[in-house]
Parts: sequence; C-alpha cells; structure tokens
Amino acid sequence: MTEQRKPRKHATEAAGRIAPMVKAAISENLRAKEEGKLVAYTFIVCAYDEIIRAMDIVPAWTENYAAICAVKRDAQRFLEKAEAENFSRSLCTYALCGLGFDVWREELGAMPPDSPWGGQVRPDMMLGSGQMICDPRNKWYQAVQHYMPDVPVYEVGLPWPPYEKDYDYREVQDYYIKYIVEQLKGLVEFLEHQTGRKMDWDRLGELVDITDKTWNMMWETYELRRAVPTPMGTGDAMNTMVPISFMMGSQEAYDFYKDLYDELQGKIAAGEGVIPDEKYRLLWGGGLPSWFALTDFNYFNSKGAVFPVETTYRIIEAVYNFDIDLEKISDPLEHIAWRWLKYWTFWYDKARKRPGSHPDVERLIQYIEDYKIDGVVMHEAFSCRTWHPGLIWQLNQLKKVYGDIPSLILESDIVDISSYSEVDTHARIDAFIETLESHKRG
Amino acid sequence: MKEQYFAGMDIGSRMTKVVIMGEAVLSSHVVSTGPEQRKLANKVMEEALAKAKLSFDDLTYVVATGYGRINVPFADKQITEITCHARGIGHLLPSVKTVIDIGGQDTKGIKLKDGRPVDFVMNDKCAAGTGRFLELMAEGLGVELEDIGKISLTARHRTVLSSTCTVFAEQEAVTELSKGVPVEDLLAGLHEAIAARIYSLVARLKIEKDIAVTGGGAKNIGLIKALEEKFGYPVVVPPEPLVTGALGAALLAGDAAREAAGSGSPLARSERRLNEARFF
Repeated sequence: MTEQRKPRKHATEAAGRIAPMVKAAISENLRAKEEGKLVAYTFIVCAYDEIIRAMDIVPAWTENYAAICAVKRDAQRFLEKAEAENFSRSLCTYALCGLGFDVWREELGAMPPDSPWGGQVRPDMMLGSGQMICDPRNKWYQAVQHYMPDVPVYEVGLPWPPYEKDYDYREVQDYYIKYIVEQLKGLVEFLEHQTGRKMDWDRLGELVDITDKTWNMMWETYELRRAVPTPMGTGDAMNTMVPISFMMGSQEAYDFYKDLYDELQGKIAAGEGVIPDEKYRLLWGGGLPSWFALTDFNYFNSKGAVFPVETTYRIIEAVYNFDIDLEKISDPLEHIAWRWLKYWTFWYDKARKRPGSHPDVERLIQYIEDYKIDGVVMHEAFSCRTWHPGLIWQLNQLKKVYGDIPSLILESDIVDISSYSEVDTHARIDAFIETLESHKRG
Repeated sequence: MKEQYFAGMDIGSRMTKVVIMGEAVLSSHVVSTGPEQRKLANKVMEEALAKAKLSFDDLTYVVATGYGRINVPFADKQITEITCHARGIGHLLPSVKTVIDIGGQDTKGIKLKDGRPVDFVMNDKCAAGTGRFLELMAEGLGVELEDIGKISLTARHRTVLSSTCTVFAEQEAVTELSKGVPVEDLLAGLHEAIAARIYSLVARLKIEKDIAVTGGGAKNIGLIKALEEKFGYPVVVPPEPLVTGALGAALLAGDAAREAAGSGSPLARSERRLNEARFF
C-alpha cells in the first residue's frame, strides 16, 4: 500500500511544477484513449519522439509510470504480481513493475485498485527502442504482448558506432546513418499503417527544429549550474528531466527550459544557492536514482553537499557543439539520425587523446573541471544489468587516468524499495562527507 | 596545565565499546549491545569511567561512533566508524594503508593516506561475511563462537558451502554435519567463503599493504588465516581489535579539543549530564 511521505523540498520553482505536469499527462493519456486517439507504449531516449507526435499518436511512457509507482512507494504489489507470473525479481524493475501492472489490468479488465494517478492506459501499440545500453527496450513489450496479444509491437533498432581507441568512428558513420534512417522509415510505415494516415513531413520538420532549440536551451540552462553557489541540484534535475524525456518536439518543453533558465539566472544574480552554506560540490556520476528515496538528495544538502551536475538524464549536448551543422540537413529522418549519432559519439575524440580513457570517463572529467567538483557519487541499481555494472569500472578508470577523487557508490534499486535501507544509506553518506572533509584538509 | 580526559564510545550492533584516555588510554570497556544497552549508553559510560577512576565531569569531550552513535545523548559529537577506525589504526599502526573492520552486522574496507580515510566500502545489506553470520553458524554447529577459529585450523579438508545466504548456509552446514562431515572441515570452508567475500568487497579499494583487520572478526584466528591466504601475505591485528573504533573516537575527541584551543574558538559541547537515550 502507499506509504505517505513528506514531499521532497525543491530548490527551484520549475522543479515544483513537474509533478502536476506528469499527473496531467497520465490523465491526458486516459482521456485520449476514451476519445478514440491511438496510444503507444514507448521509452524515453527513443529518438523518434517527434515522429510519434507528428502522427498524432499519444505516447505513454512506461518507464515513467513505473517510476511514479516507486515515488509513491506503491510499486511492490506490481513487482509481486510479475513475480507471481514467474518473471525473475532480478530483471529490470521498471519492466517488472510495468508487467505486473499490465497483467493485473488485463485480468481485471479495469485498472488495478487505487492505481497511482488513475493508472496506465491500455495501449494500441507498443514501440520498442533497441539500443546498446538496455535490453528491456526490446524484450519488455514482447513479454507484455503475451498478455495483450491484440496489441502490435514494433521494434526500432538505433545503434551508434562503438568506441575504439585507435579507430575514428567517422569512417563508418555514414553506414550507421543509413541504417538508422531505414529503421525510422520502417517506423513511419508502421505508424501510417496503424493510423491509416500519411506522415506530414513538413510538420515533422517543424517538430525536429523545436527539439533542436529545446536541446540548446536545456544545455544552456544546465550550464548555469556551474555557478558557486549552484542554483539547482541533481535532486531537482531528477524532476526537470521530464520535458526533455517525455515532451520532446513540443513548444511546452522549450518554454519550460526557458522559464528555468530565467529562474536560475535570477537566483545567480541574487547569490541564492540550493543551500546557504555550500561546502562540497558533488557530481552524480551515473545511475538512475532510487525513485522512492529522492529525499536522500536533501540529506546530502543537510550535510553541506550539493550536486551542480549529473550525467543521468542529461541526454543532450548543444547541437551547435557538434562537428556537423544539423541545420543543413533538411530531411527530418536524417536530421534525427545525425543528432542521435553525434550525441552518443560526442566524447570519443577527447577519450582517444587520453591513454586509458573512455568517452564516459571523459565526460566525468569534463564535468569535474567545469563544475569545480569535490567528489563523485554513483548509484548501482541491482536490477539494471546493462548500464549500471559499468559504473564502477568508469570510476576506477577515472581515478587511474585523471587522479584520485573521493567517491561513493550507493547500492539499491530504481523501483524495488526492499533493496533499500535508509539507515545504511545515510551511514554511507555520513562517512563520505567525512572523507570529503578529510580530503579538503589534505 | 591540568590533564584533559576524553572518551570514545562505539555502539555497534553486537558490542558496545568505550575508551577513556588522557595522555594515554586509562580504561577500555566492552559489553554486549542489547535493546537495553542501546538505551542505557550512560550506564556503560559510568562503568568505563569507574574503571578509569574518573567522573563524567572530568571529561573534556566525548565522541560517539558506530550504528548506535545517535543514541548517545551526552556525546559532544557523532563521527562515523570509518573515520574513527582510520584514526585508531593510524595511531596504533601508522604503516597501515588498508583497514578491514569485521563488525557484527557489516564489514567495511577503509583506505588510508597518512592516517586519514580517503576511500571506503561497506558490505551491502547482507549478513554473509559479518560477525553475526559467524555467530549464527557457531550456534548452528553447536560450538562456542570463541573456539571456531582454532577449531577450523585443525581441518584436513575444507568443505565448500554453496550458499551465501546466512539462513541457507546454516541449514547446509547442519545437513553436512549430519552426513558426518567433521565440524572443523565445515568451519574451515566457512572461513574461506567469508574471506573470499571480504576480499571481493575490499578489492574495490585497490588494496595496498599493510593491511590491518579490526572488529570482532579480527579475534577469529581461522578467519585471519583465511584472509592472509586470500591476500597472499600477512595482515596485522591490533592488540585489542574490538576497541579500535572507540579508541579512534577518543583520539578524535582529543583532536577536537586541541583544534579548538589552537584556533581560540570555544569547544561546542553537549550538556554535561549522563542521560539515557529517549526514542519516543
């Protein structure tokens, strides 16, 4: 059952707007379905957000709904439901929570009792998003389809050239672009078939342009957090990721970051930081958060620590920093493909210049230097078997190629609260703060 | 100048330890931590002070550490076990660069540089590899906890236990015992498994010599031997491994007093009353 908790304190007004926005989006999904609009299950960072919007398909973000269940500490019953169907508890708990919810809803023919925020809508289609970082993006919806055999699944594969220290990816990038464009064309054909409508390519072009503008605005906004004291921390960023993750290709997303930009500038001008006495500046160096324990960011704050920057959900780079002029690429599918590929390969050149480094490590180094970072914190979520296990290796490489820096690995999960102990977590944070102090004293 | 006295109190999940010191250690006191003791930290402190022939008013500064550190209302400061163990070992064995503290409910690895903690790891929320695990296994096998180390050294073979879960490992060990497997072989296998688990945890720190082992686990010669075998070289154990954290806390209390005196700022202290902890 839902455990009542005090809401997390936000540093920015913008972050405080997010929960109502997400709640409204969940309600909108349910309303859309009633009105006969087509709804698609899909994933964040799928790259084809604008395609879905241009086809007037309503996206239902399944990872987001699992996170909402976790934030409300009401995910366990859905995890248990999936487990009762013989799915292993060690699978991705976003997927498990979603599976449990869907199985239950299909059994009842209605939303499970007291579903958080009214429940997750039954989709008309499910759009996978195969990537190199996450296997549930392929397998989750295929598993759900056993319970909803009438709902079609379409898989899109979006690779990027893997990093090689002695090889310039540009030699093969054209092949990747061709492949990604073919994948996106396939998706458009699938959606045209499902909707019985043709793609409006001019509209898609407009939405792609809005996304570029939004990426740039978000990047410029987040760069303001370099200020000392920092006006916004990672706790808030775990909220302000919503527009870039769930509202890409919308004017509303751009406007949100413009508002946040103005708010942060105001705070910087007033010398107003996340906390009055900023002692330690930390980098959230990877890992999704424990959604049921976001108040831990406030606990860090209570010890004088702030997070001016994070790698998690900062899934953008200003497009004008790419080594390609995206404005010159008029075909919207090619445009999306290049933006996708250039983001994922952005740190490759830097990594090749530093022996033993890696693009993910270079990103950490860049942030450590740009944001005057004293220590690195990562979260190793047991149920994520793709991205999270590599974090400790990144940390070790960082210390090897860059230098010693205090670090803390938190161990828990994204959704499964049974993996979490507040006492243990706070004990680790306390010890880490003492280590930071010890480093400062030198 | 009048001699100053300091106290360090380490309330662990299984044992509560107190060290009282002036220029040198005046007394140390170790009792079991139970629900009552957690509440009655004041009584334990009184006993430690009596051993040192001091009263609470004689103490200049008190530092509490361990899981129960928040249950010490009369402590002037709370500091984590990581810093306290580092300070304690830095004082006793200055050449040590890696500390392994095997406590009742968790195991920690601490990396030291010039006697200061620079990195640490703690075991996850699992009892395997902790003192409590050993306690339960000793109970299950019908031997005294104090004896399991020595007994394990007489083993001719090591029995491999496949389970790392405390409950299932105990069950597995008892089943093996009923099949006629000698208890010493089971204990040797058990110590080897725990040493492997501790090694994989501490290896995250990039282990550097010398290595010291502290906490109740350090009193188990079987475990120490298994760890040495795993690391490939000897480890050092301080004379009183159980009180290393409390000693560090007392030393840090002295550091705080000297630092305040040096800077001319007043020493922030809590009320000089030995109150019992109130939870509600």
